[in-house]
Amino acid sequence: MTSIASSAAPRPAAVMGPLLRVDGLVKHFPVQRGMFGRATGMVRAVDGVSFDVAVGETLALVGESGCGKSTTGRLVLRLIDATAGRVEFDGADIAALSSDAMRALRGSLQIIFQDPFASLNPRMTVGQTLDEPLALHGLAEGRRRERVAEILDLVGLPPQYARRYPHEFSGGQRQRIGIARALAVEPRLIVCDEPVSALDVSIQAQVVNLLRDLQARLGLSYIFIAHDLAVVKFIATRVAVMYLGRIVEHADKRALFAQPRHPYTQALLASIPIPDPTLTRRRIVLQGDVPNPAAPPSGCHFRTRCAHAQERCTEEAPPLEMTDGHAVACHFWREIEPIGATLPGTAAVPRNARLEALQAAFRAPLDRSALSP
Amino acid sequence: MSDGREFAAVDGVSFRLDAGRTLGLVGESGCGKSVTSLSIMGLVPQPPGRIAGGEILFDGEDLLKIPPAELRELRGNRMSMIFQEPMTSLNPAFTVGDQIAEVILRHRRVTAAQAAEQAIAMLKRVRIPSPEQRFHDYPHRLSGGMRQRVMIAMALALDPKLLIADEPTTALDVTIQAQILELMRTLREETGTAIVLITHDLGVIAEVADDVAVMYSGKIVERAPVRSLFAQPQHPYTIGLLGSIPQLHLEQERLAAIEGQVPNAFTPVTGCRFHPRCPFAVERCRQVEPPLAPVVPGHDAACWRAPLPVAVDRAA
Repeated sequence: MTSIASSAAPRPAAVMGPLLRVDGLVKHFPVQRGMFGRATGMVRAVDGVSFDVAVGETLALVGESGCGKSTTGRLVLRLIDATAGRVEFDGADIAALSSDAMRALRGSLQIIFQDPFASLNPRMTVGQTLDEPLALHGLAEGRRRERVAEILDLVGLPPQYARRYPHEFSGGQRQRIGIARALAVEPRLIVCDEPVSALDVSIQAQVVNLLRDLQARLGLSYIFIAHDLAVVKFIATRVAVMYLGRIVEHADKRALFAQPRHPYTQALLASIPIPDPTLTRRRIVLQGDVPNPAAPPSGCHFRTRCAHAQERCTEEAPPLEMTDGHAVACHFWREIEPIGATLPGTAAVPRNARLEALQAAFRAPLDRSALSP
Repeated sequence: MSDGREFAAVDGVSFRLDAGRTLGLVGESGCGKSVTSLSIMGLVPQPPGRIAGGEILFDGEDLLKIPPAELRELRGNRMSMIFQEPMTSLNPAFTVGDQIAEVILRHRRVTAAQAAEQAIAMLKRVRIPSPEQRFHDYPHRLSGGMRQRVMIAMALALDPKLLIADEPTTALDVTIQAQILELMRTLREETGTAIVLITHDLGVIAEVADDVAVMYSGKIVERAPVRSLFAQPQHPYTIGLLGSIPQLHLEQERLAAIEGQVPNAFTPVTGCRFHPRCPFAVERCRQVEPPLAPVVPGHDAACWRAPLPVAVDRAA
């Protein structure tokens, strides 16, 4: 067993260094109360988070509201400054970069937001929105108009959409525009912050498929921030589960979903309603709410809702320890009964051949002319 | 619409719900599932809304014909509703206990003390810890999950025969959603209340509903008992929807996304409303709207091509 609390994440040693390395990241926000906004306390939104992301892979940060996953994403982009810890992109410490160097780096690091409407300027056409970053970064000089058309094509939108305004589009199309804007500057890493949470399921699938296709085509790395574990299982390479500012489990996707070790991950997986009424599985219903992040429990943050908590969990915060490439922060994970029965293996579910055959028809490209009214 | 034209948000929707059963109403934004439920409750603002036709029989009585005062008496008493965002349905200026007690006082001949006592009993029934203290809390003091429990306590305070739950867990974190779904299952067994559960989440439907109606663009396109719907979906929209959700228990190479978008009031579609997005559509689908009809006994679908053969040839 090796302690990885302050070093890298569980991944076989790569030939090159990781594209992004995050080490011991901490962010405190002051809690302000009263008329003069005095700080009356401190929320440890991110409390010692470490991971790395390789070229072409997707690291998913998952957890419920207030677990610090979005703050972590913003720290990686240096949209906010960290209280402590280090973020290295391509070997360079981003906190030490001059503002010019940081501006240049922003081309490589992009973000996609949950609500594409709120993040698009309503007074700019799609073409202007996509042209602006090209101009700022001096890209595609002399052929910017062609480049805008190429980017639109990349996200599956026709070039004439460049002349339209954001309000003319549906939620799914706006998210495609949000993705197009991120792609305009040819980034290497994109932080996707709940990119499909606001979309209807049929549209969500279009955007998730698009993100996967773009990754395969452009060799992008993603940090995929989400609360929906089913989407994460579909898109991620590795998964880090966060609870109250800390990573409690971090593993390869297959290992994490097949054999979750942390009681929180187990409960999270068991809480997700599965669209199959014939399935019976063990229910783990967590009691209570997430504690106030301004006054988290001592020791293990999860202990107040954990069915396996003991005296030691109150006294001592469990370090994130890696065994067989699978990291977990729990004193007692070895003693906890696995939850195989909660999440059936794929072999246990009989295939519905008829349904699969019919659904295959949806995967084949439709005649696009039929789509435009 | 703002320019004075009318459009049908809900168009010819029919279903029945027996006592003690749970009907899941599923569909995406704008499919008319919420308007359907608001119509049952008599809560569609008129104008601009208008119920242009049909009947809503509740215990044999047509809710569209009874006088408003009588409907108010029914609401809260024999049928009630919970919403997605409890904070917007609770009054921030009153304690949660007072708000539940008020519902009881409004419909029952009890003293204020008795109403308060019953309100505390309701808080206990929805498993709110230390109900005597929580009684005196204002809504903002409670977490989202606790607020939804308060809403459920208020909705069930008068032992209604029908509960309409409109996306009751959508705004909640998944571990809290599991708590609320568990509570709804337990309460249904205890009370025998019939439930209309409106949701976009097929997982929630699979866990809670007995029967399901799938809505698309203001119409019910498929209606079946829950097991039959998930095992043998008949309408292409349901088939596509099931393929487009990432599923924890399945290995999926690629999601079966439904191309295109939901039609809106400004771009009406002739024939079957799903045909522009349907890989099985044939000429007839573009011309004539299919009726909701049985495909197998007890399982209805509104599709000219149902039952779809397995080795289906894609329409040209």
